Amino acid sequence: MSDVVIRAEALAKRYRISHRRERRADGSPYDNIPNHEDFWALRDVSFEVKQGEALGIIGRNGAGKSTLLKVLSRITEPTEGRARIRGRVASLLEVGTGFHPELTGRENVYLNGSILGMSRAEIRKKFDEIVSFAEIAQFLDTPVKRYSSGMYVRLAFSVAAHMEPEILVVDEVLAVGDVAFQRKCMDYMKRLARSGITIILVSHDLFAVKTMCRRVLALSAGRLKFDGLPAEGIDLYEKDSRLEADPWAAGIIGEDIDQWPIIIRFVELLDADGSPRTVYDYGERMRVRIHYESRKPVRHPNFYLGIRRPDNVVCCSYSAARDGVTVPSLDGSGVIELLTPPLRLVSDLYSTYAGVWDREFKNLYCGQIGPNFHVRDEVLNQHFGVFHVPGEWRWGVNGHKKIGSREWGVGSGG
Amino acid sequence: MQEQTIIPTKAESERFDLLIEAGRGAKNYWRDLWRYRELFYFLAWRDILVRYKQTAIGVAWALVRPFLTMLVFTFIFSRVAKLPAPGSVPYALLVFAAMLPWQFFSTALSEASNSLIGNSNLISKVYFPRLIVPAGSVITSFVDFLITLGLMAGMMVWYGFLPDWRLLTLPLFMALAFGSAFGAGLWLCALNVRYRDFRYIVPFIVQFGLYLSPVGFSSNIVPEGMRLIYALNPMVGVIDGFRWALLRGQSPLAGYAIIASILVTSVLCLSGIWYFRRTEKTFADII
Repeated sequence: MSDVVIRAEALAKRYRISHRRERRADGSPYDNIPNHEDFWALRDVSFEVKQGEALGIIGRNGAGKSTLLKVLSRITEPTEGRARIRGRVASLLEVGTGFHPELTGRENVYLNGSILGMSRAEIRKKFDEIVSFAEIAQFLDTPVKRYSSGMYVRLAFSVAAHMEPEILVVDEVLAVGDVAFQRKCMDYMKRLARSGITIILVSHDLFAVKTMCRRVLALSAGRLKFDGLPAEGIDLYEKDSRLEADPWAAGIIGEDIDQWPIIIRFVELLDADGSPRTVYDYGERMRVRIHYESRKPVRHPNFYLGIRRPDNVVCCSYSAARDGVTVPSLDGSGVIELLTPPLRLVSDLYSTYAGVWDREFKNLYCGQIGPNFHVRDEVLNQHFGVFHVPGEWRWGVNGHKKIGSREWGVGSGG
Repeated sequence: MQEQTIIPTKAESERFDLLIEAGRGAKNYWRDLWRYRELFYFLAWRDILVRYKQTAIGVAWALVRPFLTMLVFTFIFSRVAKLPAPGSVPYALLVFAAMLPWQFFSTALSEASNSLIGNSNLISKVYFPRLIVPAGSVITSFVDFLITLGLMAGMMVWYGFLPDWRLLTLPLFMALAFGSAFGAGLWLCALNVRYRDFRYIVPFIVQFGLYLSPVGFSSNIVPEGMRLIYALNPMVGVIDGFRWALLRGQSPLAGYAIIASILVTSVLCLSGIWYFRRTEKTFADII
């Protein structure tokens, strides 16, 4: 009881959304459209955080996670309710906020540090640690506009992490860095948590939340839906959240998902043995379970599953009909399972999408956005392309007509 | 869960050092401002560093701009319009003594009023007392002003026209110029967040202000009956004060102009802080 460092009581945040007044052809305004509308980004959110706790906040886009962090970091004021905080809060809501592209890495460490609330003496004391953690020592005097995005993230995280806060608030920022650095940050945050620093982590990466946090808050439409153990919270969140309509599919079938003949209730991502996964190693196979529910009988449904990169490049897709599987007709709910070939995607964050065509790819019945997953590999990243398949190589030395006899076969992969 | 409905006892609320609540926050504001005091310096430092990056002649621009303006003004007002200079003061010094505070005021005002919008990524992602942002802009312009002051000293030596004891009163007029730029800047930057119209209004204010202030001429050519109204422009007192302090009192200084300037500046500053503090909480939501 005595070691509570954050106490939020009935926090609520209202935004006013103003509507532009459309006019009829004769110039008179529509009377039924109000000038503005209230939108509650947060509603009645209460919780307590104890010192040294690592708390994860999960929820879909627009659930209020970022608004909650903004309220706790005093960027915006709650409309109702209150929060009490003990100790210095450092929040990293966006990578490199306050970095000026024209300034060098060194100059930006000082600037960013002071924006986050560090004194010049503190920054000077921590400077070497910050630089070595970020692994950018040789680029210290280069303007950050010439940095790669990875270097940028590393430096930004490093500054924030070294300000010795009592409470560290981190929003979905690490997704930008490479996997090795993400792991380094995770380890660092775990160390901070062990040393008594309170951590609040918002992430879509449920795997990260599960490994980092002992406790999870799940938000949905601005309200607190769950407060408890990560495994339970994540389960609930995944089951409870209906998959969003894929925008292009909504354009074809209609915006109102309730009118669709069939919907996908949720998609489970598993490993080949059937246990849930959010991170796959390069070359691993993925087992996908698509839980559907049809409202009307659907003839010859043709399930598909696709994988997209964060920049919306479709990397590959699987279709039941293409793979020679036909289902006669569906009515009611059920599940269909796909076991992919070994994943040859490079390490990155991917999102899935799934839906139902007819056998001839003429009529679309359903198209929704599924869960995200990571592919992990020490070496292969986007610089290697979208996917990577080992090739065959031969070796020869100039001056010899004969090409070396050694021959490497196709790598066996993972 | 039950404790949350109980009103915390005094001892308990003291354990927390921060209370976040609608309409709250005033308690910690000035303490925070003190804690973040180095940020004034760092924001100004950033602006100065950035301003002259990738320029060929760098900081020299702080000298070139007012110097060229002074040449043009001296030529137009003294040779073309044939306006008189009081006493034995060279017209160029008369103009430059006014150029100094005016250039500071106009750049400080324009920079300050755009400062919040220019830093919108900071405003929406990090907490710090927002007052630091416009203040930083005024400080940046003040550094330029100090550089130009050096140019003024050089010109006075060149003309062989050195100041007397009145020079000691110069800091007072510098403070007045700083205050009026800061006060007006607070109003304009806060208004600019909500109404971007001010992005177009501010250049007008600066442009007209140049003609409404005695920069190119001495204020004793203003008709007697209008001088009091004229003095409501806080820069009138400041500019007259600069001339009086730098030019051995050969340029007249009216007491009422100083008093009017001090009053208007105080009103601008106090009301500016009040309005800024009142609207500050919504900056992150509407910027």
